[in-house]
Amino acid sequence: MNHGQTQPATVKERSHIALNNEFLRKAVKFTTERLRNGKKKASEEHGNWEEWRERGKQIRLHTIAHLDYYLNQFVENARANGVHVHFAADGKEAVELSMKIAASKQAKSVVKSKSMVSEELHINHALEEMGIEAVETDLGEYIIQLAGETPSHIIIPAIHKNRYQIAELLSKEAGETLPADTSILAGFVRRKLREKFLEAEIGMTGCNFAIAETGSMVLFENEGNARMVSTVPKTQITLMGMERIIPTFADLEVMATLLPRSATGQKLTVYMSAITGPKRTVDGDGPEEMHIIIVDNGRSLQLGDPEFQELLNCIRCGACLNACPVYRHIGGHAYGGTYSGPIGAVLTPALQSNVAEWDDIANASSLCGACYEACPVKIPLHDMLVYLRNRKVEKGYGQTAEKIGMKGFAAIMSNSKRMRSVVKLGQIGQKLVVRQGLIKTKIGPLKGWNSVRYLPSLPNESFRERWDSLVQEVKNENSPMSEDIRTRMEQALKQRENGGRSHG
Amino acid sequence: MAEQELTLLEQLEKESRAKQAKFIGGIAAKLGRQEIAKKPVHPFRGAPDFWTQLEWSQEERIERFMDNWQSVGGHAFHFATMEEAKQFIAERALELEAKHIIRQNQPELNELGLEEALPEVDIQVWNHNPAENWKAHAAGADIGLVVVDHAIAYTGTITVLSSQDKGRSVSLLPTVMMAIIPVERLKTRMGEVMTHFDGARREDLPAGIHFITGPSRSSDIENDLTIGVHGPGIVYALIVG
Repeated sequence: MNHGQTQPATVKERSHIALNNEFLRKAVKFTTERLRNGKKKASEEHGNWEEWRERGKQIRLHTIAHLDYYLNQFVENARANGVHVHFAADGKEAVELSMKIAASKQAKSVVKSKSMVSEELHINHALEEMGIEAVETDLGEYIIQLAGETPSHIIIPAIHKNRYQIAELLSKEAGETLPADTSILAGFVRRKLREKFLEAEIGMTGCNFAIAETGSMVLFENEGNARMVSTVPKTQITLMGMERIIPTFADLEVMATLLPRSATGQKLTVYMSAITGPKRTVDGDGPEEMHIIIVDNGRSLQLGDPEFQELLNCIRCGACLNACPVYRHIGGHAYGGTYSGPIGAVLTPALQSNVAEWDDIANASSLCGACYEACPVKIPLHDMLVYLRNRKVEKGYGQTAEKIGMKGFAAIMSNSKRMRSVVKLGQIGQKLVVRQGLIKTKIGPLKGWNSVRYLPSLPNESFRERWDSLVQEVKNENSPMSEDIRTRMEQALKQRENGGRSHG
Repeated sequence: MAEQELTLLEQLEKESRAKQAKFIGGIAAKLGRQEIAKKPVHPFRGAPDFWTQLEWSQEERIERFMDNWQSVGGHAFHFATMEEAKQFIAERALELEAKHIIRQNQPELNELGLEEALPEVDIQVWNHNPAENWKAHAAGADIGLVVVDHAIAYTGTITVLSSQDKGRSVSLLPTVMMAIIPVERLKTRMGEVMTHFDGARREDLPAGIHFITGPSRSSDIENDLTIGVHGPGIVYALIVG
């Protein structure tokens, strides 16, 4: 993966950079907490949140299970509305299509509203190579574009920058020193980008949802830049992940209930726009020509895969990032891909289907399940992380040392005599390294563990060794069980064998 | 349109149709089907049943709408008549020292007589002369004035639809937006508005359907709330009736 900058190869190295940057850590913590509390408040206030989640999940499951029908329906309706629909099997095709359209318009400038798909495709780079200026117009995206970086949060892309850094970046653009005052900085961006909107030949958008029955595409945003991009330039190009479909406007009500509340705690984003084809002949504004490029880029790899198909249900709200204890510590850039947090840890390897290269981000999770609890469409991300780790081992990308260790463990544990003699050996051997009941040495396999915490020593007498005396103690202390209790327990045991509930 | 452009579009169209069968056929195959699925039964359509029962009284709708609109930083007022609304708009326009106003070409606004009330102010009517650059008019306007097509009390949202007489730019480009909400268009839930679009014939669907919930905002700089980043930063909702 190339972001135009080199970055360390593993999630561990990248997270070290993040952990050493105190501002970043604080900013990520503050932002994720603000968003998480906002979500909590909004979902509680709305009420019946579980029923809404379940409905959201059902709608997404149903649409993906019949994606062939609904996508086809969307394409036919969008065409009937006058949209030029294109298909791109991968990022390269999507970029080529966009470039062909841009070239035919002899475009010098493209204004873009936030789109995660376009981040996947690195389309800005391609445009710039053609000599076309590509301007991100979302405030956060504009800031990180000036910095030459990538988004670190799906909802707040410039979460990792402070206002002084931002003032410095914008001052360079302005050609004068701007104070680090939020409203002044935002005011500068408003004026600057107004010019860009009015100059640009092409507006490029993403797509939050596409409505099959009407052929409409829907955008959620707070700033108004997506409305600008889809109103002012003469040509609109929309990049749409092929799974963005929902059947009807009625279903949009459910998504509009779940998405803003989960993302930022808002009842609705300031703008929600449903755009149905180019401007009508008599209209005074809106794009004269509208293109929708439907992008696969690895998404179909999840279709028909029972363990990962539900990934396509994702509505890109970022709630799992805000809920994740690991994300809150290491921030988005440590994940290394376009998508960060728990969803990124699963989606990046799944989209790219290169388990070997990307599996290490699947380890950047504590499997606590907070992501699933937060997900408005109930995607079992923590289970998927386990599947991913499974696949890695099955494909032979496990660590040799770990494999040998597991084999050794199995050999020892499966034989009580072996187990006994190994424990004895350990009890004697550890005398060399135990200090105050702890083993602190970092030699050999102990290095990984003891770098961040200490191993407790083996007790002088193991549980197995104490077993005989423990049994004796219990017998002496407890009076024998009364007859009726014994009968009751025996009955309960029998019932369980007959197919009653059991643990696990 | 240049000839070269047309041929490119035609060519892309041909490629698109050729690719469609493969692209969507591939999805069907992944889902274990020989051919594209027939129209499926759609059991979980729209909001849960308990939700569709919700309906507030007119009084409650007005109160909740105003609360919601104000809570996100908008200004909300309730007037008994259009005449009162007109006076309010005229007063605010003078107070804000507005020089240019752009308004939609809607019957309610045509009858309002704002032009007489504000003789000093340049008031443009959207698209009344298609030869002019209406986007530039809107971008230069201090106030954009619209009558909403629908409004939603539960979320504090107005809905505006585009047409020949209703520019998308009017609610987007000016510094201030004023939206008149005839009270009978104020509904409780979003679902009540959505039904208008699900059942609509293609020719009745506008190119732009915009749901607006307060002033343009961003928290992208250090989580510090900024109002009026790209769209209007000052928004008035005027419920009439």
